[in-house]
Amino acid sequence: MLTRLTLGQKTVYYSLLVLLAVFILFPIYYMFTVSLKTPRDIYRVPSLLVPNPTTQNYVDLFGKQDFLQSIGNSLLVATAATVISVFISVLAAYSLVRLKYRFRDGFSRLILFSYLTPSALLFIPLSVIIARLGLANTLQGLIFVYLTFSAPLSTWLLMGFFRSIPMDLEEQAMVDGATRLQAMYRILLPLSTPGLVAVSVFTFTGAWNELLLALIFITSPEKRTVPVALQYLITGDTFRWGLIMAGSVAAAVPVMVLYYLAQRFVVQGLAAGAVKS
Amino acid sequence: MAHQARPLAQGQKAQSGLTLHQRNSIFGYALVAPVVICLLALVFYPFVFAIWISFTDQIVGGQAKFIGLGNYIYLAKTPSFQKTIVNTIVLVASVQGLKLVFGLGIALLLNQPIRGRQIWRGLVLLPWAMPAFVAYLTWKLMYAPNGGAFNVMLDLMGIPIQLDFLSRELAMPSVILATFWRGFPFWVISFLAALQNIPQELYEAAAIDGATTWQRFQHITIPSIRHVILVVVLLSTIWTTNGFENVWLLTQGGPSDATMTFPVLSYFGLQSLRIGEASAVSVAMLPVFAMLAFIIVNLLKED
Repeated sequence: MLTRLTLGQKTVYYSLLVLLAVFILFPIYYMFTVSLKTPRDIYRVPSLLVPNPTTQNYVDLFGKQDFLQSIGNSLLVATAATVISVFISVLAAYSLVRLKYRFRDGFSRLILFSYLTPSALLFIPLSVIIARLGLANTLQGLIFVYLTFSAPLSTWLLMGFFRSIPMDLEEQAMVDGATRLQAMYRILLPLSTPGLVAVSVFTFTGAWNELLLALIFITSPEKRTVPVALQYLITGDTFRWGLIMAGSVAAAVPVMVLYYLAQRFVVQGLAAGAVKS
Repeated sequence: MAHQARPLAQGQKAQSGLTLHQRNSIFGYALVAPVVICLLALVFYPFVFAIWISFTDQIVGGQAKFIGLGNYIYLAKTPSFQKTIVNTIVLVASVQGLKLVFGLGIALLLNQPIRGRQIWRGLVLLPWAMPAFVAYLTWKLMYAPNGGAFNVMLDLMGIPIQLDFLSRELAMPSVILATFWRGFPFWVISFLAALQNIPQELYEAAAIDGATTWQRFQHITIPSIRHVILVVVLLSTIWTTNGFENVWLLTQGGPSDATMTFPVLSYFGLQSLRIGEASAVSVAMLPVFAMLAFIIVNLLKED
């Protein structure tokens, strides 16, 4: 580092950091507190603290069969989308980085173009296509459409990771008699672990969090994913905020733990995706 | 590429009757095929299809008739659509302006020799790690007139007014603030990564030459991370314009279209089953996206 901070600088910097922490943490804190309050307390006892904490909202939420069902649906969709997407993206990224053929640049451009195409533009035609394929209102259909955002992002990020790994080791293995796929599986993939973790986290959370497409494609209550189930709680007749916040905590905690554990890889992947340094 | 001339690979060529180059090509196509087929079917085809149906009077379950610019002419005259254009511009411009200023400011702050930098960085990631729908549900509750956090704060400060933060006048600023909260971490983390790549020698040399802090910022920091700033601004502009959850969960575009944006209007169009018209709403955004995408593709190719 260039210089030590002066006392004045320290005061200013740490004050700003505290402000930043409050701004970031307050909504999260608020979500937790409301999830621990009865409806009466929320409306009648205006307070930012929790005078009479209760787990009633969580008991009600998890006592309801349909919320458990939604969590199951979300887990299934997110896991399947992640496995399929990471698998096909690894193959595609390997091909685009390590092999030379005629339409390679065209395919790279298709992937970047897909990554940049907003789903707001695609959801109408996709709903028509999915209906024609007989996949409307199925979790399979949802897994399938989630590839529209996960496959391009994963392929794009993995291409960056693969490119940064020298080819010598793989070549050496091939000289020693390994096939290309073996060299990829035994050498390239272990070296690309940060990239694989990053794209898996992005894909899983992307699918776990997705609202718009799930809202359009899923019509029967027993197939709702968590975001859809929760949004129906606010568009319904009665708002039960405690219940909604309990659901939010339940939906957010797994993803936030995942991000926390994979933080290093996620930051690296994030920077690589946008910055490609 | 060096490995194409390896003796072992040469030997394999004889067995299959294909040149090594051909074998590699076929293998390359085979590996890339699943992703390419997926994207052609799920992105490229729908993309073209969206443009086509926007020129028809397609309704769900009905026959499509080509009506040229009919939908666009109709939309252009609709007050809802006009409001949507203005709202989208206001929302995106404000949110992106805030993210640029605060994103850069926070990144510079976190790049100082402060204690526990890892912890602060992890903290900044939190809003972004939170699922978007959870973030916006929480903000919706914080804005609630009765029992919402902001009104509770007003109450605790002894200010005897109750504000409806999602009213016609306040809804847009409220949506902007919530969208900013959820979106700024991406900017901070990207900028921070770029700042950390700037060689310290540049600053040391500048310090010896007697450059002021502002001069160092202007002549070293900004030029070094200009490229990253540009890519982040463009990428994030596409995502923010495309954002559905923020408006849908906070206001559903209301009250009376005060926060209506393209994706929400298009979603309402789909719900009304007039998908020709709904498509025209999304396709109307296309020129802007195409321009942004074109610039990004060229920027990334430069590297």
